[in-house]
Amino acid sequence: MSAAVLAQMTGADFLKLRKKRGTLIWALVLALAPLLIFFIVRAAQHSSSPLAHPPAGGTEGYVDGVRIIALFFGPLAAILIGVEGGAGDVAAGVFRDLVVTGRSRTALFASRVPAAVALTWLVIGFAYVLLVIGVFAFASGTPTPSTGTLVNGFAFSLLCSGVVCAIAVGFAALTGSRPAALTALIGWQLVASPILSGISSLGSSRKLLLGDALAHFSPVHVGGRAETVTMAQGTAVAVVTVWTLAFVALGAWRTRTMDA
Amino acid sequence: MSSLATDAPHAPGPDDRGAAIETTGLTKRFGARVALDGVDLHVPRGSAFGFLGPNGAGKTTMIRTLLGLTHASAGTMSVLGEPVPERRAGALRRVGAIVEEPRFHMHLSGRENLSIVAAVRGPETHARIEPALARVGLAERGNDKVKSYSMGMRQRLGVARCLLADPLLLILDEPTNGLDPGGIQEFREMIRAMVEQEGRTVFISSHLLDEVEKTCDAAAIVDRGKVVTQGAIAELARGGTSGEELIVGVDDAERALVVLDGNALVREAHRSDEGIRVLLAGDASTAALLNAALVAAGIGVTRLEPVRQSLEQRFLEITARLDSDVEPREVRS
Repeated sequence: MSAAVLAQMTGADFLKLRKKRGTLIWALVLALAPLLIFFIVRAAQHSSSPLAHPPAGGTEGYVDGVRIIALFFGPLAAILIGVEGGAGDVAAGVFRDLVVTGRSRTALFASRVPAAVALTWLVIGFAYVLLVIGVFAFASGTPTPSTGTLVNGFAFSLLCSGVVCAIAVGFAALTGSRPAALTALIGWQLVASPILSGISSLGSSRKLLLGDALAHFSPVHVGGRAETVTMAQGTAVAVVTVWTLAFVALGAWRTRTMDA
Repeated sequence: MSSLATDAPHAPGPDDRGAAIETTGLTKRFGARVALDGVDLHVPRGSAFGFLGPNGAGKTTMIRTLLGLTHASAGTMSVLGEPVPERRAGALRRVGAIVEEPRFHMHLSGRENLSIVAAVRGPETHARIEPALARVGLAERGNDKVKSYSMGMRQRLGVARCLLADPLLLILDEPTNGLDPGGIQEFREMIRAMVEQEGRTVFISSHLLDEVEKTCDAAAIVDRGKVVTQGAIAELARGGTSGEELIVGVDDAERALVVLDGNALVREAHRSDEGIRVLLAGDASTAALLNAALVAAGIGVTRLEPVRQSLEQRFLEITARLDSDVEPREVRS
């Protein structure tokens, strides 16, 4: 299969996702609304009591914003989009119509991942623009992050959301069910993973958790998980790679072998 | 529907070797249940071929197996001369198929749904989107979301999706389900045009006997996963017997039977509720000679009518015979 065909197929998958209005709106809400609320509340607190509450923007606001985008709500948006990308064809009943074109099932799966990641990054991009605007608009004379930090923070946000999105595509393809995949992934992201990360008796085995490995790449001190579980750079790279490849491979395997 | 063709009739090429579909001993099991039981099928090119059977006979399983949507348990098959699944991609390159009901991304327009399949099939396919929409009469509704389409429009969009392959072979699973009588008529005309004017092969699975009889040139009757019989529609309806059958109404049946039994033109004659049923040794033109023989014997002929056996009668005979064959085994088990 040529790169041109794969690019066309990715474009087609992107079209399916972009036009799925409900998914896109909720992904934008999850990515943007928490930041808006964060800036509005912090700005209100600062204006009412400047000594007790720091400005909403500036470096401190930036760190909180990165935490929101990269580690909490950005991944939720990525899950929504990734699950739709991974299970959308099966749910709509069109998977068999794509299979009967004779195109390999691996190719059908492979085009979903970049399409979902691209849309996720678009959403995260909007959120990051909002963050940067808020950081400078509400700085109130406090220090602001450097250009290098902003670039690294953006790359970190894209890394976290991209990895979670790719895993969501693979997991949704594996289950073949959007509700099941959404429930499991959101439950893992919001409940199971933070709880496991907080159990100190698990010790260094917590390095195997995706969230802890991803937090290791943050260019700013995002606190919490990044500080409770320390690991070498190589370990973090290996953990993130294994998580991503494992779920993508499982999704591809299921797509190749399932009855359409 | 528009009569516009998507492409000029295809030129013969490498794909024109062999039958459109050929299976030998094709078997598909789901656990202990046998859905296809050693199916031998030959679908000639350039014809409309009906795959006829009651619900649950294995029609859709057959289509799904041919298209590689599920794996065969045993047997061999080829599509457009290419062995499947070994060379599945090449075989399906010129195949369009609707399996069960046509399904689409409902949040996209008809045109966008076609563009997605075109992207999967390859760059040259995009140019076929507009002609395909025009061919099925959906050019003006192409930008409407599919969720606003009627069942008939979705069926037509399904055919347009098939046409993106410029198919040598169309495989349609119960294609007239959900269509109103006008839609069925349009669909039938479109199928016949594809076969007669464009030289395509159309494989139609259906439980609607009348529909297959009116649309198809040949058919196979399938029941309980087995092909019971296959051949030209007229042959199937006659049940493989040669010769015509007549119903003869006379004023003296006793004497008429004596005359008929002694006539070389008559293979068999017996009484029925409608009159005397006569199986002729020759073709229908011998009916006039028979009439003359009866009149010459002083018998008044009140009716002389050819028996038109339908595929439906033949189908019911076959399936009823299978039922009676199976019942004792079911009782014992």
